[in-house]
Amino acid sequence: MATRNRTQLYRKYRDALRHVRSPAGAPSSSGSGGGGGGPVIEMASLLRTDRTYAPLSTDDPSGSSRGAVTVGLPPAWVDVSEEISANMQRAKMKMGELAKAHAKALMPSFGDGRDDQRAIEVLTHEVTDLLKRSEKRLQKLSMKDSSEDSNVRKNVQRSLATDLQNLSMEFRKKQSSYLKQLRQQKEGQDGVDLEMSINGTKSTFEDDEFEDVGFTEVQMSKLKKSEAFNREREREIEQVVESVNELAQIMKDLSVLVIDQGTIIDRIDYNIQNVAASVEEGYKQLQKAERTQKKGGMVMCATVLVILIFIMIVLLILKKIIF
Amino acid sequence: MVLIPLVRDYIDRMLHDIPGMKVLVLDPQTVGMVSVVYSQSDLLRKEVFLVETIDNASSSRESMAHLKAVYFLRPSADNVQKLRRHLAMPRFAEYHLFFSNILKIPQIQILADSDEQEVVQQVQEFYADFCAIDPYHFTLNIQNNHMYMLPTVVDPPGMQSFCDRAVDGIASVFLALKRRPVIRYQRTSDVAKRIAQETARLMYEQESGLFDFRRTENSSLLLVIDRRDDPVTPLLNQWTYQAMVHELIGIENNKVDLRGFSNVPKDQQEVVLSSVQDDFFRANMFENFGDLGMNIKRMVDDFQHLSKSSLNLQSIGDMAKFVSNYPEYRKTHGNVTKHVALVGEMSRIVEERKLMLVSQTEQELACTSGQVTAFEAVTSLLNNESVSDIDRLRLVMLYALRYEKESPVQLMQLFNKLASCSAKYKSGLVQFLLKQAGADKRTGDLYGNRDLLNIARNMARGLKGVENVYTQHQPLLFHTMEGIVKGRLRDADYPLVGNHFQHGRPQDVVIFIVGGTTYEEAKSVALYNAANPGVRFFLGGSVVLNSKRFLEDLGEAQRISKSSSII
Repeated sequence: MATRNRTQLYRKYRDALRHVRSPAGAPSSSGSGGGGGGPVIEMASLLRTDRTYAPLSTDDPSGSSRGAVTVGLPPAWVDVSEEISANMQRAKMKMGELAKAHAKALMPSFGDGRDDQRAIEVLTHEVTDLLKRSEKRLQKLSMKDSSEDSNVRKNVQRSLATDLQNLSMEFRKKQSSYLKQLRQQKEGQDGVDLEMSINGTKSTFEDDEFEDVGFTEVQMSKLKKSEAFNREREREIEQVVESVNELAQIMKDLSVLVIDQGTIIDRIDYNIQNVAASVEEGYKQLQKAERTQKKGGMVMCATVLVILIFIMIVLLILKKIIF
Repeated sequence: MVLIPLVRDYIDRMLHDIPGMKVLVLDPQTVGMVSVVYSQSDLLRKEVFLVETIDNASSSRESMAHLKAVYFLRPSADNVQKLRRHLAMPRFAEYHLFFSNILKIPQIQILADSDEQEVVQQVQEFYADFCAIDPYHFTLNIQNNHMYMLPTVVDPPGMQSFCDRAVDGIASVFLALKRRPVIRYQRTSDVAKRIAQETARLMYEQESGLFDFRRTENSSLLLVIDRRDDPVTPLLNQWTYQAMVHELIGIENNKVDLRGFSNVPKDQQEVVLSSVQDDFFRANMFENFGDLGMNIKRMVDDFQHLSKSSLNLQSIGDMAKFVSNYPEYRKTHGNVTKHVALVGEMSRIVEERKLMLVSQTEQELACTSGQVTAFEAVTSLLNNESVSDIDRLRLVMLYALRYEKESPVQLMQLFNKLASCSAKYKSGLVQFLLKQAGADKRTGDLYGNRDLLNIARNMARGLKGVENVYTQHQPLLFHTMEGIVKGRLRDADYPLVGNHFQHGRPQDVVIFIVGGTTYEEAKSVALYNAANPGVRFFLGGSVVLNSKRFLEDLGEAQRISKSSSII
């Protein structure tokens, strides 16, 4: 693919033309005629520095002298959007840690594995929390104020919403696969336990009754332990399911914001047309509102009352004068 | 490499190296060029959060110094003037200027002069000056397309701007492909000759350094031909999906506007038909109407099956799976609704205008049948009340193009009948068409009846019978392509520009049709490319025609030529 860079040529002309402009104090750019020599040069450069202030945004008064245009301070919502993307980055990192924790918890281990469970719980909560907070701030991003910026804000919101949706989906997929594997493990363990306990009962039948009682006690405690274990697993599963549901809610909210790819809304020319159309519409609505307000009953009432007041004052004065 | 990825690459490179939040400023032409290859969500991914046109960007006074501006414009005098005003009062922090074609030195000087604040960081030429609507099909969307039918003396500046735009578009295609071609043009067409010669001058003399790609010079070919050499293809009714939608409803830059039609659901008022984004469309765009109906029915059945299974959600696992697949589900739902709406609308129009009947006669007029049967068929259709005016006009035109020499008396009879039946269309238009594109004016062998070999071939085909009466027409372009590949394109008919010589067979061929292409020809090109991997054909034109547009151009040209005192 061929391209051609004209920047160097452009810069050459720009520098050459700048030199032509400034030393002679040529009035072509300053627009005010007048005097000769010194004062003209001063006026010209004064006017020029004035002009460098004008186009910059008003919250950067320390505009430089001729030359570089400083990047003005961005509006406040940019900070919000940066915060949201920072949150999402953190959530992504936490999800990586969570994946590792999942893998470790699923591996057969000797210990109770309770520390792993706790770590997983904590991480899951953190991630869900981050995602929910991001979503709330995202909703707030779209509200309020002016015209120009609103387009930019809407687009920023859309792009963040798409990223957030993808992140949520990934999180839920990981959750559900962990859930599935957990269920499988639980059933496996149950099976193993039962088998062991059946074998235990079989072996005791050959022994005495005394020993029978003892073994059944051991059995009981084993059963109790496996019950407690199951209950705990149930609890975990419930928690995971709950977070799945929460995420589903977030997904639903986000789907309104995200653009469907391949539809007309995804076309640049459609969006440009719509902006133009809606700005016109808005202008017309404003005019209509102005007219109805002028015609409105409120204005009539107010004027009538004011006239009445004047009449009363006049009558009062007349009364005073006559009497 | 095909056209759509080339333009996408250009846009990617524009946006890639500039970090931070950006605004993209386009002009009315480049909006179309960018919209067909890049979507809004692609832009958002590249951190472009605002898109404006150069007109409304200047009217607003609000400064957004936290954004960097990327301008992608055509290098026209108008745009340079508007850009001057923008640079004199900059609204954005940085300005990166990209032009879609070659800048002239005075233009660069003007811009450098107005850049007092020195906000411009780069000025580049990225040669994406065409609308890549399909992988092998591009268009230039020229407004005053009817110019090509008029002699230059009628409107010299108008003709100059038409030719300039065509040359610019063709040059940028070759720069994007990085090729410098051998150029051939149709001898009988003055416009084609002019465009070919100006392109040659640009590529070999004025900017020869830019075009010097150090490849075997003769492996690519540009062929500039005139629409009037094949006036039959735009007049015919179409039965393959993409061509049919354009013929009956109208496609503009891959968008279809269904707002004028009733029975269309609210969210399908405007739809996008893109072979890149829509898999079903890519598989079916060249299928005929019957097969298309079956495929749509299958798609709808699959979708119903999917939606029914999603209705009985038994467990939480099912619910979770449904919610995670919801975006996919919604996209499929939208797609199915879109195609069903389009096909439904087209069926209704076919029914209303009795197009099955009309099209059968049209195809016979274009491909086969003797003069007497043709005359009878056309007469009976003219008498038929339910045939619309525009269809009657088309039938008479097709008859006239084929049998203008054979029996003038019967032709006059048809003219009279047309004038009496339809109030809007007079026979003057048909005669104007004959003057423009009659048998004397045409180079190519449109009906395959000029030399014995073709006549024999036609008779053989007639005896064998055709598979589908409605799609039997093969556009003249197909034979031209075969001629190029087999080296049978006669120098007398299609001379070379300059003294370049074509060694062997070209590998890349761009065919530019002055006056416009049709989707039927684009289909022909795409299918030929798929069947013959050794050569790649690209097709482009000044606009994409359907019969309505072709007749409008004809009418406009006729009106101007009548009012001008020269002709």
